Amino acid sequence: MPSISVKLVAAESLYKRDVFRSPDPFAVLTIDGYQTKSTSAAKKTLNPYWNETFKFDDVTENSILTIQVFDQKKFKKKDQGFLGVVNVRIGDVLGHLDEDTTGGSRGREETITRDLKRSNDGMAVSGRLISVLSKQVGRSTDSTSSAPSAPTSSAQASGSVSSSRGTGTHTPRPTAAAVEHTLQSGAGSSSGSNNAASNNSSTRQYSSFEDQYGRLPPGWERRTDNFGRTYYVDHNTRTTTWKRPTLDQSEAERGNQLSANTELQRKQHRGRTLPTGSSDNSSVTVQTSTSSQTPAVNGSAAAAFAATGATTSGLGELPSGWEQRFTPEGRAYFVDHNTRTTTWVDPRRQQYIRTYGPTNTTIQQQPVSQLGPLPSGWEMRLTNTARVYFVDHNTKTTTWDDPRLPSSLDQNVPQYKRDFRRKVIYFRSQPALRILPGQCHIKVRRKNIFEDAYQEIMRQTPEDLKKRLMIKFDGEEGLDYGGVSREFFFLLSHEMFNPFYCLFEYSAHDNYTIQINPNSGINPEHLNYFKFIGRVVGLGVFHRRFLDAFFVGALYKMMLRKKVVLQDMEGVDAEVHNSLKWMLENSIDGILDLTFSADDERFGELLTVDLKPDGRNIEVTDENKKEYVELFAQWKIVDRVQEQFRAFMDGFNELIPEDLVTVFDERELELLIGGIAEIDVEDWKKHTDYRGYQESDEVIKWFWKCITEWDNEQRARLLQFTTGTSRIPVNGFKDLQGSDGPRRFTIEKAGEIAQLPKSHTCFNRVDLPPYDDYENMKQKLTLAVEETIGFGQE
Amino acid sequence: MGPPDSPYAGGVFFLSIHFPTDYPFKPPKIAFTTKIYHPNINANGNICLDILKDQWSPALTISKVLLSICSLLTDANPDDPLVPEIAHIYKTDRAKYEATAREWTKKYAV
Repeated sequence: MPSISVKLVAAESLYKRDVFRSPDPFAVLTIDGYQTKSTSAAKKTLNPYWNETFKFDDVTENSILTIQVFDQKKFKKKDQGFLGVVNVRIGDVLGHLDEDTTGGSRGREETITRDLKRSNDGMAVSGRLISVLSKQVGRSTDSTSSAPSAPTSSAQASGSVSSSRGTGTHTPRPTAAAVEHTLQSGAGSSSGSNNAASNNSSTRQYSSFEDQYGRLPPGWERRTDNFGRTYYVDHNTRTTTWKRPTLDQSEAERGNQLSANTELQRKQHRGRTLPTGSSDNSSVTVQTSTSSQTPAVNGSAAAAFAATGATTSGLGELPSGWEQRFTPEGRAYFVDHNTRTTTWVDPRRQQYIRTYGPTNTTIQQQPVSQLGPLPSGWEMRLTNTARVYFVDHNTKTTTWDDPRLPSSLDQNVPQYKRDFRRKVIYFRSQPALRILPGQCHIKVRRKNIFEDAYQEIMRQTPEDLKKRLMIKFDGEEGLDYGGVSREFFFLLSHEMFNPFYCLFEYSAHDNYTIQINPNSGINPEHLNYFKFIGRVVGLGVFHRRFLDAFFVGALYKMMLRKKVVLQDMEGVDAEVHNSLKWMLENSIDGILDLTFSADDERFGELLTVDLKPDGRNIEVTDENKKEYVELFAQWKIVDRVQEQFRAFMDGFNELIPEDLVTVFDERELELLIGGIAEIDVEDWKKHTDYRGYQESDEVIKWFWKCITEWDNEQRARLLQFTTGTSRIPVNGFKDLQGSDGPRRFTIEKAGEIAQLPKSHTCFNRVDLPPYDDYENMKQKLTLAVEETIGFGQE
Repeated sequence: MGPPDSPYAGGVFFLSIHFPTDYPFKPPKIAFTTKIYHPNINANGNICLDILKDQWSPALTISKVLLSICSLLTDANPDDPLVPEIAHIYKTDRAKYEATAREWTKKYAV
């Protein structure tokens, strides 16, 4: 079949839609609606010059070539920045394609200049498009027709350009070079090749994150515009500049930031993180592997997906039975008539998947195509850093993990970790958690933060609060790029949870987990304040800011609408917990004289509360004591603060829908609200007591070795397991409190080596059996920490 | 009444007993209102006794608790002291301890 090449030279006198700026025009070329190519975007011009050549196969004289011009800056808007369209019937330009009129090997070549036309919606357009159409003789396999395109500013487009350079071959090339090639292009560094061609002085190709002066600061990328000029993109602030950034600058900035938060506690608060797909250092990110360095694999095995997908199509024919179509928005999709399925993924696209073994020496590669198509309803997309992620349109979720890959790929990553990370990603990807356009300004006085924040936050609608937060402290200059709002939540959480306001109180268990004060009604406005506090907690979760506050475990369970059980009492009141437990384990006949009621003291006044109708006249016996214990725990923890809790949840759910937060369990919710703290293992070790063990014992050494190897999330989980909360006292482990005053972290020799470690959260104690080897101990400890649900183990 | 075989013999000691609202799930708060010289009882009358703290059981009755306090007067527990100075003397110079305890009993409890 004949093929033609189309050289899109330039356009001139495009319509100026904005008064103050010129568009970034790029053109999309389509033959008969299914072969699609696009040019790079020219910058800020009404007379773009592309000079890019594209080859189309299977063209007849009746084929229609459609060239549309768009403004890249507005491509995601509704009208896509449409700047005009030209339709050309090939036969009108090149005549009969089958006739070899010139007889030479050159084929015919025609330069055409056409006026840009309006589309159906009738937006004004102007200008002309100049292109050169030429006929390819015979079955040209010459791949020069797909000339390397000019560097693009869009990482998406650049990915496709370089990946398609290898022409339409479908053969997997599982060589290291191929992978490196795909990796490089995946990071949008295809400009390198263009540089090398146009700039002879450069002897090697630099990745877009480095140049002859060395690496760029983190978050910066080097790009080249269509005039070959180098410019720099700062992904941290989403700005561009012609000036090369230096490390010194950003370090000075960092220094300023650091000097601002000198307080130990503040630092602790700022250090809190959550594992998300993008910042989690234990999962390999494609970004790190761009500069052909060894990708950073942190101990645990992880899978990295390096792929060169893009939204524009690859080269060559579609496999038989496939068809390319366009959505009304102009987005290409692919129909497989064989299976009667559709997909966003171009079947010609070549993707490679790399799997790192635990030792990082075994690298397996396989083209994604071998994995078969994505499951129905799934789509693969690229982030702006060219990292592949997957969209499940069935559940409207996104994930970094390829659904076709067996989950055993990350079998060395603990289950809870995978789950929590995935849950956070899922949670964040929900439409209800998207930041709305616009800004939400909150101005407070530092001295009066509680009252000011109350006024400011309560007068805004929940929708307003979902806009980008801009916190300002009165009389201070700082602009809120995150630091100010972090400080805001830090200070505010200290105020609103301060027991002096009688809204919250410390649990009887220790003196730093907090619970709702049942007597908060002393403040007649208390329910409004609880609603406010709920909003603030939701606001923190929504805007990814952490609160410096830790609730009793039962409160997190209540937020998840889970039933509160006796075990939750341990974190609320250890003495009551032990007594109720004793009741269940021993006969109470003739020993305890109880009815189904409880005494509640309200400011010196003693009230008898029925735990069930007419409870005060129903005696508790060995037969019904189980019910009594349940009701009593329920009353003590939930019922007494029901009103306050409901107001709190009303506020919280205005920002975080109830059904979304329930993907987490109560421990994960604590981490979501409070973040994961940086844990100082040395300090921890220094303030640990041993019972039955010596610090020099092998098992103890193993224990600390294990803790040292763990990351903060795992350490936080162990703390939750042992002390009931992931919180560390402000002054470190030496101030750890138990149910009866200061209780240092304690490791006791107890249990058989076949058993898992146990914990006593009242006493901050972990019972560690004398395991006989490191691996066994590590495995048991990991299992105990990750598999235990709920607070307090006995 | 101080136990006969102790330096507190002959003394009458008053205690305050406070029942929390959660009683019997929480231990009663018991304190000496009469001054007493004892390694496990401080100047405010607070008693360091395990059953009044983490060893509390709802099955314990007030009479059982008072019996325990009586036996604490006979057999002090100097290894878990509330007043370390008294515990030190108790361990190093038992005679001096007994003399002081008897003197205090005479002075405050008779």
